[in-house]
Amino acid sequence: MNRIAAAAALATAVFAATAVPPQGPREIVQTSQDRTRSKSEHYEGELQVIDSKGHTTSKRWIYDRIGAFGDSKAVLRFTAPAEVKGVALLIVNHPDRASDQWMWRPAIERDTRIALQDRRTRFFGTGFSFEDLEERDVDQYDYKIVGAENMDGALCWKIEAAPKLAKSSQYTNTYLWFRQDNYVLAELQGWSKDRMMRSIHYTDIAQVQGIWTSRRLEVWDTERKSRTILTLEKLQFNLPLRPQDFTVEALRRIG
Amino acid sequence: MILLKLISWQYVRKHLVRSLLTLTGIVLGVAVFVGMHAANQSVLYAFRQTVNRIAGTTQLQVSAGEPGFDESVLDRVQAVPGVRVAAPAIEAVVNTGLPGQGNLLILGVDMVGDRSLRDYSFEQSDDDVIDDPLIFLAQPDSIIVTASFASRNKLSINAKLPLNTMQGARIFTVRGIMKPGGMASAYGGNLAVMDIYNAEKVFGRGRRFDRIDIGVKENVRVEDVQRRIEAALGPGFQVEQPSARGQQFEAMSRIYSVSANITSAFALFIGMFIIYNTFQIAVTQRRSEIGILRALGAGRGQIRTLFLAESAVTGLIGSILGIGAGMLIARGLTGFISGYLGEMYGVAAKVDEVTTDPLLLGSALALGILASMIAALIPAINAAGVDPVKALQKGAHQLLSEKGNRKRQIAALLAAIASIIPGVPPVASDALAVAAALLLAPTLVQWLSHALRPLLRAVRPVEGTLAADSLIQSPRRTSGTVAALMLSLALVVSLGGMARASFISIKHWLDVSLNPDLFVTTSPSLTSHSFLFPGSIGEGLRDIPGIAEVQAVRSTRVSVRGVPVMLISGPVASLRKWARSRNQDHLVAGDDEEAFADTAAGRGVIISENFASLRGFKLGESVDIPSPAGLLRMKILGITRDYSDQQGTILIDRSVWMRNWNDNRVNVYRIYLQPGANEDEVRTAILQKFGNEQRMFVLRNKDVRDYVLRLTNQWFGITYVQIAVAVLVAILGIVNALTVSISDRRRELGVLQAVGGLRSQIRHTIWLEAVSIGVIGLVLGLALGAVQLWYSLDISRRDISGLRLAYDYPTNLILLLLPVILLAAWISAIGPAESAIRGSLIEALEYE
Repeated sequence: MNRIAAAAALATAVFAATAVPPQGPREIVQTSQDRTRSKSEHYEGELQVIDSKGHTTSKRWIYDRIGAFGDSKAVLRFTAPAEVKGVALLIVNHPDRASDQWMWRPAIERDTRIALQDRRTRFFGTGFSFEDLEERDVDQYDYKIVGAENMDGALCWKIEAAPKLAKSSQYTNTYLWFRQDNYVLAELQGWSKDRMMRSIHYTDIAQVQGIWTSRRLEVWDTERKSRTILTLEKLQFNLPLRPQDFTVEALRRIG
Repeated sequence: MILLKLISWQYVRKHLVRSLLTLTGIVLGVAVFVGMHAANQSVLYAFRQTVNRIAGTTQLQVSAGEPGFDESVLDRVQAVPGVRVAAPAIEAVVNTGLPGQGNLLILGVDMVGDRSLRDYSFEQSDDDVIDDPLIFLAQPDSIIVTASFASRNKLSINAKLPLNTMQGARIFTVRGIMKPGGMASAYGGNLAVMDIYNAEKVFGRGRRFDRIDIGVKENVRVEDVQRRIEAALGPGFQVEQPSARGQQFEAMSRIYSVSANITSAFALFIGMFIIYNTFQIAVTQRRSEIGILRALGAGRGQIRTLFLAESAVTGLIGSILGIGAGMLIARGLTGFISGYLGEMYGVAAKVDEVTTDPLLLGSALALGILASMIAALIPAINAAGVDPVKALQKGAHQLLSEKGNRKRQIAALLAAIASIIPGVPPVASDALAVAAALLLAPTLVQWLSHALRPLLRAVRPVEGTLAADSLIQSPRRTSGTVAALMLSLALVVSLGGMARASFISIKHWLDVSLNPDLFVTTSPSLTSHSFLFPGSIGEGLRDIPGIAEVQAVRSTRVSVRGVPVMLISGPVASLRKWARSRNQDHLVAGDDEEAFADTAAGRGVIISENFASLRGFKLGESVDIPSPAGLLRMKILGITRDYSDQQGTILIDRSVWMRNWNDNRVNVYRIYLQPGANEDEVRTAILQKFGNEQRMFVLRNKDVRDYVLRLTNQWFGITYVQIAVAVLVAILGIVNALTVSISDRRRELGVLQAVGGLRSQIRHTIWLEAVSIGVIGLVLGLALGAVQLWYSLDISRRDISGLRLAYDYPTNLILLLLPVILLAAWISAIGPAESAIRGSLIEALEYE
């Protein structure tokens, strides 16, 4: 009996160690997204940008999201420093096409649309681009598993994602590292042909309200040699947020 | 070459002063040619540089004239297949609050998408260090300046910069500094960048862009994308490559270019005449020398070549000196031209240096040499035709043969007849009239010399008679000098007459058309379009006690047949009512009542006479006006005399403007006061109500008139330069002639002194001769000027400005010119007279 149990345990261990995915690469990405699915999300973010000379600027914002992954709406509103307080960004994600984005500036009481062509521009001096703020629906890319690597002590699937023809992107391909234990995204690298443009490293992974998520993102911009660190505080899911607060009119009203 | 060295150079050395004076004729002509064209080219070059540097990698630009277009057009452009990037832009020229810095060209761009079209090349590093991009966008006082501007004004990041905005004087914060080169060198470095939405607010643009700059996808033809955008937007928009703006600028400055061509052609022509005169005198004086050369075996061809070679060398040296002088003239003119065009058309062209186009300099060199050789051709032919035997006989050469006189008179008559044949273009008629005057000059000079003889004799019996006889006995020399003086003075009369006619016509137009009591504007100059009032201010103005009527007027440039024309929109019925009550002129074409009533109802337009003349429009025809709503085809209901704009004006009712442009902003509110209202009190009330929150100027009617007349004066600043050139040429001609006269009569003057003539008598003889030349030149010049003035007004109306100006002989100018020319003649005689009396008497008697 002991021998059988031991053999079974060994087989299980071997099975786990070889990390044969239960489904293909698309399914891994889908699973990862499904596991973070929530009706809404809220956090207070602290954003630090460290430029190539080591000079650091800090800002704070409040982030709210409503809706399913890839078909959601999000509002990001700056709260500090005083010069940028009230500036907001509305992102409306679509499963079948690029997102719509608007910016609100309280000082001149204007909302302006961010054109699709402009998505590769950096988001207000940070390491993110406007495209990086979009949610990537799983069906907008083609995937393949290119290996398994250790990331921060956790074994990860390394998956290459290439945008489908209909998807407009600054990246020709993206590499994603998903932790095999909890399907959390540990690292993302955006490439343009043979040049890595930026990488996003996800750390401080914890379970919040039963959802595994990262609470610290660090972006490395290879062109400008700058780092951007986003720390999520007071993260909450499934709050009762109102859809009418995720419109351009709401930006104006609340701003 | 040997003959040049052995013979020509000796002659030049002997008559150095005369040779230098002759050279000056070519120098002047070439200098004016180079100066005016180099200045124009420099301003055009500076404008193109600004356009190109700001355009960056832009391949196409969408615009809809000066009013711009609604922001929603951007989405339509971005959706066109083949468009890689479409970035909106606003441009405005504002005055900084910094002493000595003048204007700043503000470029308003969407910093999010603009980077792919323009290189901002920020200082500090390759990173986009606008210190903080989010603060730059969030704070409406953010501005980026160039390194050169920052350095001149000791500005660093976070420094404060005052600017005049629609909300009055405001302080901006420098949040970025561009490195030198590229875009930063546009507009002479006086360029600043703002966020476009902040700029809209600062300049009162509402939600309108000036243009959209477009980059095309790789492997897509620019022409294909251009066609697609044109199809998507419709005919109310222009889709062009950035270089097309340079062509528009050329159209705007065409009037100046034509004026420059006329002036330089005339200056060169007068220079040629001086050369002709001098060479003719030289041939006469060197007849013996020529006779000897011919007797020794020199062929006619060799003689002719010798004189032509002399003239070519003169032309070469004169051209080189003229080019140098021309560049100095250009340096002074560029500031004037760019300032004038900036004020009139809002054109951003700041000239740092005069461009030296090799083609222009080469042309000037060739022109000077060619002009000199052409001028010397007839004297050279005459020299080649000298009979060696007759050449050694004295005295006969100064006379004009009766046969030659007859031929000239017949030719003059034929030219005069040809000049008045109907159907001959005015420029050709003018040239024929001038040719007739030149051919008739020797005959007229003889007549007038004979006519003056009794008068001179009455003034000073001995000296006067000698002076008159000298003129009569040397008709070649005298008529040449008088002809040059006649041409110069005719130019002065014609230019002065044009200036006077313009003043009178414009002043009359001001009296009858610019009749509101007050003007509420956004700048001290009525031509500035960088700032606009919102339409809502009109209601507030009407509530002010003492105001009877408020007219909201919007003027803007639109492109009609490729030329930017002034489109004026206003409440036509009200404009008509108040104009009639203050005695406005009638329309030049069309029924007054019908035309204004139908225009007020939006059924057509009233155009200015110069627009009709320049573009070939007639009453009853249609004119196509591009608008954001599409191409507006409007019937021409009337033609009026309007001097608002050199390119012409189109008047439409404000309702038509609002319907098609959907833009309620206003350039100027025209205000009529109630009877008995106090003008100063109303002005104060307006400024108190709006002045604190709005950039605003309240101008009196007199202020506006003074401004318009000052602008007209500025334009005719060029005229006064031309007049000075003409007077200088006159002086040169007289000095030249007297110098030759003195040397020709050296023996005669020596004999006079030997038989007891006093030095003062010799001196007075020469003075009287000079003054007589001046008088004869004045008589002929003023007469020819009367004819020239008529032709100039006609040419100006048909080909240049389209403006019909009244013929008014510039009597005041003539009264000023009379003593100036006579004084100049007398001054010209001082040197030669002293030279005549101080020379050795023995040498003079031996002079041969």
